[in-house]
Amino acid sequence: MALPQRRTDIGPPHYRQFMPPVIDKNYGKWKYHEVLTPGTMVHVAESGDKLWTVRVASPRILSTATIREICDVAEKFCGGHLRFTTRNNVEFLVSDEKNLEPIKKDLAARGFKMGGIGYGITNVVHTQGWVHCHSAATDASGIVKSMMDELFEYFESKRLPNKLRLAVACCVNMCGAVHCSDIAIVAVHTKVPVVDDEKFKNMCELPTVIGSCPTRAISPDPAKKSVKINPDKCMYCGNCFTVCPPISIKNPERDGVAIVVGGKINSLRSNPKFSKLVIPYISNEPPRWPKVVAAVKHIVEVYASHARKHERLGEWIERIGWERFFALTGIEFTFQSIDDFTFMRDTMRTASTFKW
Amino acid sequence: MKKYNTPLIDQLEKGPWPSFVTEMKKAGKNNEMSNDAVGHLEKCYTTKMGYWKHGGIVGVLGYGGGIIGRYSELGEEFPGVAHFHTVRLNQPSGFFYTSKALREICDIWDKYGSGLTNMHGSTGDIVLLGTKTDALETIFAEYSSRGWDLGGSGSDLRTPSCCVGPGRCEWSNYDTLDLVYNLTQEFQDELHRPMFSYKFKIKAAGCACDCVASIARSDFSIIGTWKGDILIDQKEVQNYAKKGMNIMSEIVSMCPTQCMSYDGKELKIDNAECSRCMHCISKMTKALKPSGERGATICMGSKAPIVVGSLLSWVIIPFIKLEPPYTELKELLRKIWDWWDDNGKPRERIGEVIEVKGMRSFLEAIGVPPLPQQIKEPRKDPFMFYTEGDIAAYKAKEAEEKKTGKYRF
Amino acid sequence: METAELQDKIFAFCEAAKGKKKLKEKDIIKGVSAEQNVPPDDVKKAMRAMIDVGRLMYSYGGGASSVEIPSEEYLREKGLIK
Repeated sequence: MALPQRRTDIGPPHYRQFMPPVIDKNYGKWKYHEVLTPGTMVHVAESGDKLWTVRVASPRILSTATIREICDVAEKFCGGHLRFTTRNNVEFLVSDEKNLEPIKKDLAARGFKMGGIGYGITNVVHTQGWVHCHSAATDASGIVKSMMDELFEYFESKRLPNKLRLAVACCVNMCGAVHCSDIAIVAVHTKVPVVDDEKFKNMCELPTVIGSCPTRAISPDPAKKSVKINPDKCMYCGNCFTVCPPISIKNPERDGVAIVVGGKINSLRSNPKFSKLVIPYISNEPPRWPKVVAAVKHIVEVYASHARKHERLGEWIERIGWERFFALTGIEFTFQSIDDFTFMRDTMRTASTFKW
Repeated sequence: MKKYNTPLIDQLEKGPWPSFVTEMKKAGKNNEMSNDAVGHLEKCYTTKMGYWKHGGIVGVLGYGGGIIGRYSELGEEFPGVAHFHTVRLNQPSGFFYTSKALREICDIWDKYGSGLTNMHGSTGDIVLLGTKTDALETIFAEYSSRGWDLGGSGSDLRTPSCCVGPGRCEWSNYDTLDLVYNLTQEFQDELHRPMFSYKFKIKAAGCACDCVASIARSDFSIIGTWKGDILIDQKEVQNYAKKGMNIMSEIVSMCPTQCMSYDGKELKIDNAECSRCMHCISKMTKALKPSGERGATICMGSKAPIVVGSLLSWVIIPFIKLEPPYTELKELLRKIWDWWDDNGKPRERIGEVIEVKGMRSFLEAIGVPPLPQQIKEPRKDPFMFYTEGDIAAYKAKEAEEKKTGKYRF
Repeated sequence: METAELQDKIFAFCEAAKGKKKLKEKDIIKGVSAEQNVPPDDVKKAMRAMIDVGRLMYSYGGGASSVEIPSEEYLREKGLIK
């Protein structure tokens, strides 16, 4: 069979053709919305028209079989219209109220999980991990699945003082917005990489490799036509591996994860914040990473029982102070939480006003 | 087809959260590549390490972006994933689809790929996970002939993405969906043919809620805002109070600028002092809404930690109007890229180049004046550059003061 | 300069860098433009035309994109040689 004629530089299809008539009609004229349940909300337009949204969880990795099942549901109740959220949930766009209860029943019967709207925990932004990434130090999908199984009630029903955004990055490249999440897990290497001198010669550019190191730990090794790495300076970021694959950094017994907390990206009440390091290292324990899951759940619960209404995790910590956060959670404070990379002068305390 | 014994990842099929392992197995039922991906993943779980290799010369003729080369080190043991390249398809603005469109994507993917996807990837693309080198041209012909083009990858403009905007949100201060569509069309060349020092991401959020995380995840963050007053429907304020909202503790005292007051009957806002954070509006959406001139704040530079630490985007242009055809914004982007092109080293993101070269050099190059809205606080050290022009201007001002007898600071 | 001649110069520029330096589009445009005293836009156009027919190609490695002379393997895959 002959191939169809390829076209270049056409860009994405125009979004407007995919919108249900109620959106087309009320585009840019929405008046307000109300969250009905953690899995449903209604948007009301100035015209009085309404659009109901039913949100379901997705594992982000979707088979075409599941996408087709999602299509079946959308065709049955939504005229075929649906969208995805920036956090990988599926949203069914219901234009007719009489379809609302039936679609919920149908989704539940098929095993789809509704939730994720409002003050709870929604889907987790994460990276590819062992499923498909060359630089993964852990499996992001496996941690997400294990964590969300344990925190599932916060997705489906149970509420928190505000929303709580989780993220998982399988290495410090952080392809997800891990660095500004309420709680994020970032996989780390903990050992100086090993250079394959033979392969280095053929595959790597010396100045690029030396320049790739943020701590200037790499210097030339002229005898071997390769490089050497100073173990006193290396912080295991893996950037040298990215520019030069013969520098191997993965190490199954030493790779693990760190936990950072208190970040946010919106500007509500307080400015966007980075997440900060509280737990420096937990070993990789596939398939279910029990200690990582327990740590995250513990932090969620301490936050839930102490924060004021509308306070995000990071806002709560800023109000009570980091010393109080470590006391309330019982997390051991370690050297790793004191910055010795580039931000020490901004992160040390410069007053004697702290709490015991 | 080979049947793999997968006791470790099988444990990830239990529990209430939807299972990615189940998805992989579903795809693997009729597809050799996905079937081997399942076995391959079990191996990773057994040894606690990954086996993927990256990069290489995969792509479609003429393009340098959109396909990411991926090979397994264990190609002999798992031939189905010896090549397992990613295809990025440019998503429609706001991730809106019809079932017809999705089925079309699935049909092609089942025919030439693994049947596995990410809906969506971190940048926003439809990610088609796993195909072989010799299928790439065919896949591109099939998709592009039906109106789907590739997204970005490598040192190019990455696929721009946005929040749901006016499609389904009352807070959007400009048309995020149209802007992103328009920019994507305008910059097809930059998207498909890597010409930059490194990646460049654009994300468009309709308001300070920033549902697309633009402030943290894009070199060029477009965040909607307004210049007028917040309009108050006092009756609706009372309705919120009646339904149990404590207006004082939940709204007034949580306002970061303390520009609100409430006497139990009437809510007041000192609009001049409001910093438009969206807290009150998002909590009382029926009662409060922005008015007046709409547009966006342009912030720049955010990125993940590699190489010298993560950055949040810095305010560059406090307010810009965003209306089609967005000429001012497009010209601004071109000026920014020219400056980056002249000053960036390989693999330097624009935020890093601005840090190295100095904000002044950047702002002057793109023609933006210094403004107090750009900073959290002025510099605290006395080490600064004075150009001859600066000093001449300060001296001229003083001469003028001597004449008029009036100081201008 | 005729396009064909300019393209030969571009090809030679890439060949000289082969195995030594990974060239970005920008390196080629700036380099050839200075070397041959030709406007950068002309170099860009000529180079793009070469990429479109597989005389040059985009590559990716070491965390960044580059432009290279295609391997036989690539040309075979694209059906440009048998």
